[in-house]
Amino acid sequence: MLIHVPSVERLIEAFRRLPGIGKRTAERLALHVLSAPAELAETLSDAVRDARSRITTCDICGNLTEANPCTICADERRDHSVVCVVERPAGAMAIEKGGTYRGVYHVLHGVLNPLEGIGPAELKIEGLLERVRRGGVREVIVATNTTAEGETTALYLSKQVSALNVAVTRIAHGVPMGGGLEYTDDQTLQRALEGRTRL
Amino acid sequence: MRLNELTCSGFRCLGELQFLPIPGVNIVHGRNAQGKTSLLEAAYFAVTSKSHRTNTESELVRHNHDRFQIRAEVARRDREVRIEVNWWQGTKRIKVNHVALSRVSDLLGRANIIFFSPEDIALIQGAASVRRRFFDMEMAQLQPSYLAALQQYRQVLRQRNQLLRQPTPDLPQLEAWDEPLARHGAVLIEERRKFLRDLAPLATRAYAHIAPDEPVEIRYHPDVPDAAALPKTLLKARNSDLRQGVTNRGPHRDDFEVYVSGKPARIFASQGQQKTAALALRLAEIELVHDRTREYPILMLDEVMAELDAARAERLLDSIHPDVQCVLTTTNLNASLPSAQRASAHFLMQGGRLETR
Ligand SMILES: [Zn+2]
Repeated sequence: MLIHVPSVERLIEAFRRLPGIGKRTAERLALHVLSAPAELAETLSDAVRDARSRITTCDICGNLTEANPCTICADERRDHSVVCVVERPAGAMAIEKGGTYRGVYHVLHGVLNPLEGIGPAELKIEGLLERVRRGGVREVIVATNTTAEGETTALYLSKQVSALNVAVTRIAHGVPMGGGLEYTDDQTLQRALEGRTRL
Repeated sequence: MRLNELTCSGFRCLGELQFLPIPGVNIVHGRNAQGKTSLLEAAYFAVTSKSHRTNTESELVRHNHDRFQIRAEVARRDREVRIEVNWWQGTKRIKVNHVALSRVSDLLGRANIIFFSPEDIALIQGAASVRRRFFDMEMAQLQPSYLAALQQYRQVLRQRNQLLRQPTPDLPQLEAWDEPLARHGAVLIEERRKFLRDLAPLATRAYAHIAPDEPVEIRYHPDVPDAAALPKTLLKARNSDLRQGVTNRGPHRDDFEVYVSGKPARIFASQGQQKTAALALRLAEIELVHDRTREYPILMLDEVMAELDAARAERLLDSIHPDVQCVLTTTNLNASLPSAQRASAHFLMQGGRLETR
């Protein structure tokens, strides 16, 4: 069976290391790459290698970038006094898609997670505090996820940053726009009720 | 609420099986190890996605099979619920009315089964963790918000304990974990107290129906009685937590104690009293589910008759509200005839096959 050929096994294992890819999907992807014209495999491997060699993390905010510092950190029209802290580059990308945020970012590359051996030293927390200490920052917006780990990291950051006399805020969580209440899960709804505002 | 139909295949020792219970009392009899308990277990699994006797799901699949399927048709007051469970090589997929659930916890509360099994005596005899599991499971079914707080609390507790086990735990980080631990822990304490306030009198009454001359009560013994004092308690225990590498205080150390005639049943009650007390807890849940949802759950009694003397068994069946659909198993048909005013149906379970009698 093809699956037991070492080179194929290696390819399947490589796909499995990607997020959201299980055993079956990895096998399906590998078999697809191998049965499609060779041009697909070449384009894919070239694109991966090329992008990976060009993209680095920004020295200031830690976001993925081709230029260093990144285009956001280098953009003088953005408000450098407001820093939005996200867990991963995907978080910054999501906020950028919204198109209204004019501040800058700081990417932690994870959250506090003792079970996975991730403490403050493993995250880009010192870099954030250093940015704040250097001055010019008046607000830090913490936009980590609402998992137990994301919430605790938000709390940890808020203590560290407020000790430097800079305001710390947490993004609100609630009901998606245009979404009916009946389609919102219980926990989100509960949180939205807790964070209600006066009309 | 009633179970109209249960079908399963590949589950435990059961063959391809169809069970069509009536709204009243359903008696499944047969010798030991013929599949009676597995039938109840399949129904319970369809409604909770859990087994009452194992956490290892691969034990549930028939020998030499890699798949089991269960379908339950339940009629609720407001609508029909069709639950389909498909377990294949360790992955379980659940559909409710043909729609796949994204989270297994979304299944809870769609239908309610109260299940009494002989192992329930551990609720009285066993460790505090057994009782906490009982209350957590029952409360989660009735209140999704409790389940959310419980899952968060457990996750924070795991993280905090891991941090405490490190050679030199980072104190600011420990403080950051204390806050959500105290916040979710306070919800657990308050909700458990409210739940006990409702459940305790019902259990007292249920026990009195079966054994009128032995007053029974349940009390909640929270490790930290004042939920608002949790942050302070965590702070006070911090040094011993750091020394021992574990979180010493909080609702994960709660207990619920059952008393018969004023004495802890765990130590002083007879085997028969303990069984009756465990049963009273389950019967109390029936009324509690009815109070909260305006609808009676389905009652499943596994080998309960063997656990009780004839007088207690008869009083038990008389005490169950006539609107409650019951499925009970027995090895001895004569000992389990329900009182004459209730409609009953008989089934024979033999070698994993079910026959209507
Ligand atoms: Zn940057």
